[in-house]
Amino acid sequence: MSMLQHAILVLLLPLFSAAVIALFLRKQGALASWISTGIAAAIAAISIILLVHGQRFEASVEWLRFGDFSVSLGIKYDDLAALMLFIVGFVGFLIHLFSLGYMHDDKARARFFGGLSIFMFSMIGIVLADNLFMIFIFWELVGFSSWLLINHYHEKQSAADASKKAFIVNRVGDFGFLLGIIWCYYCLNTVNLSELKAAIDGGVLPCSKWIPLLLFCGAMGKSAQLPLQVWLPDAMEGPTPVSALIHAATMVAAGIYMLCRIHFLMVDEALTVIMWIGTATALYAALCAIVQRDIKKVLAYSTLSQLGYMVAAFGLGSRQEVTFGHNADMTNTAIVIATGVGAAMFHLTTHAFFKALMFLGSGSVIHGCHHEQDIFMMGGLRKKMPVTFITFTIGVFAITGMPFFAGFFSKDAILYLAMEKNTAVFGILAFTAILTSFYMFRMWKITFFGEARSESASHAHESGLTMTLPLIVLAVLSIIGATGPLGLYPKLAGSIATLIPEAEGSAHTTILLVSLFVMIVGAGSALFFYKAAGTDTLEEKSRAVFGGLTWLKESFDNLYDYYVAKVQQRFAMLLNFLEQIFLAGLIIRGLAGVVGLVGYGARALYTGSVHTYVYWFLIGAALLWAYAAGIF
Amino acid sequence: MSIDLNHYLHLSALLFALGFLGVLLRKNTLVVYMCLELMLIASTVALVAFSHFNGTLDGNVFVFFILTIAAAEVAVGLAIIVALFRKRHTVQLEELNHLKH
Repeated sequence: MSMLQHAILVLLLPLFSAAVIALFLRKQGALASWISTGIAAAIAAISIILLVHGQRFEASVEWLRFGDFSVSLGIKYDDLAALMLFIVGFVGFLIHLFSLGYMHDDKARARFFGGLSIFMFSMIGIVLADNLFMIFIFWELVGFSSWLLINHYHEKQSAADASKKAFIVNRVGDFGFLLGIIWCYYCLNTVNLSELKAAIDGGVLPCSKWIPLLLFCGAMGKSAQLPLQVWLPDAMEGPTPVSALIHAATMVAAGIYMLCRIHFLMVDEALTVIMWIGTATALYAALCAIVQRDIKKVLAYSTLSQLGYMVAAFGLGSRQEVTFGHNADMTNTAIVIATGVGAAMFHLTTHAFFKALMFLGSGSVIHGCHHEQDIFMMGGLRKKMPVTFITFTIGVFAITGMPFFAGFFSKDAILYLAMEKNTAVFGILAFTAILTSFYMFRMWKITFFGEARSESASHAHESGLTMTLPLIVLAVLSIIGATGPLGLYPKLAGSIATLIPEAEGSAHTTILLVSLFVMIVGAGSALFFYKAAGTDTLEEKSRAVFGGLTWLKESFDNLYDYYVAKVQQRFAMLLNFLEQIFLAGLIIRGLAGVVGLVGYGARALYTGSVHTYVYWFLIGAALLWAYAAGIF
Repeated sequence: MSIDLNHYLHLSALLFALGFLGVLLRKNTLVVYMCLELMLIASTVALVAFSHFNGTLDGNVFVFFILTIAAAEVAVGLAIIVALFRKRHTVQLEELNHLKH
């Protein structure tokens, strides 16, 4: 089989699995879960084969044609796609494996695994797509599967609301994305990524700075950047493996991946906007994370914050000429936002590993504590769940940037980039890193240390092998999944890895010191400040700060509620009123009224009296005579 | 006093007017029917007179056709009226008004 056939297979396998489960296996949860997991294993294997084989290719077929306009389906498998496909395939497989244990007692297991399969299909579609329309199609499919999986516990009102919220907020971003795609087609006459790149490299300028910004709207929705971040914390209503797969490791990273796919369209103004949005999201989410009680909500805000890091990293890149290419004969020069893409994809990769690890760890904790999610009701899990504790600790170290863990390298790359480009962003991101370390160690200490503070926590037990094995594998990846002496990342990312900004000399020392300093300050103050007890120390010590952060967290939701209830609803009512008057009243009812009136008049002629008809006959005869006589 | 064409035409017009007024004003279907026949006959009087004064047969030929058609029409029309009377027990026009709006 050629590598192209492998790529097509990897795209179609999960669709096959989803179709089989949806059509035949809705009642057979066990069989469905094994099929879905088996297919996920095959995807992981094929993605590794494709990655290791080293061949990079492109192919497409025409799908629809309307006159001059055609939509094609195609596969563009370059180093970027190879890296992302590996993350999706491999992390996806581990999460499927984890779900076997976590969802074992769920009565709607078949639907859950079918949803995971359709998600894998959509996500792989985004990864492999070679044009923007195809990306958009799979983009929407991903939104659908996200909705389906958040809504898994649909009998819970909050889950149903959360899924709708996620779907609708994503629509807002997708609208901008679609406009961007159409504008891009209008201006550059193609949406094929390679053709676009060739056109831009050939000196054609993207005709507006709005195109990259509109395309960024899509990323803003999917990657939950300000101001569309509101759906992600609510999306935690879904089962924990879903949160790990979709709302931490892969789908929310699709926005950053898409930005990297279209990096050549960027202009400086757009990059500045993207940089500031990312930075603001990183800071905002880190502040919100401090006051969360729900273990998954802490991780959700942490995800938001890290996504902000990636977006900021992308925005920190600037247009420059570099030489790249996988093989010597394919080497060519092109304009890329090299360092931005390098740092963003690097952090995306390490984040996928350690955040999936922590979400699965939290899933293991929740499973062990009989579906208790409040960290203040946990405590003392260190001894009861040793594997979860150790792997979760590795995840915490990785995200806070402990030296020699994966997050250390990727976060340093971003901080270095920020230091070179923009001091203000550097300051905010460094402060965010302190906060990251602060809220992570807060959660870590409260969850795992002290005494068990509830019935369910005191009866906690370690999870089974299907759940601990993915944790261990991801923990290993959280250590070696970066650059450095043991690093796996250069092998995974190929030419993308060469784009990572690397500090030299004194800058290297500065970055190292800064990152060590922020981690130690954050971790130390959290460990010193919080007690492993059943109450939030910050709430006790300073109600003002706590209340302020809570207000900050809720401000966006309140704002949107206000907007929807007071502005949009009233506008909709006004439109409805106008519609009733003009459209329904004058045009539709009006037309019917005119016709009815004519009918009423015509009906009056039928009197049923022969004598009347004789008069009509007489008038008719007179008219005929008048016509024949030439009077008219 | 010699009788010329105008006298015939006046007679014909008088008969026709009688028939027409009968159709307009009478309430009994049979009478209305007879008035219709009267109008036909009025026209045949005029045609016969034309034929006589012109010395041609054209008007006479018309009369034969009109009489033939009138005979057929009477057969059908009277049958309808008989059937109507069996069904509705009346031939008064103002009661035969079911075909109105």
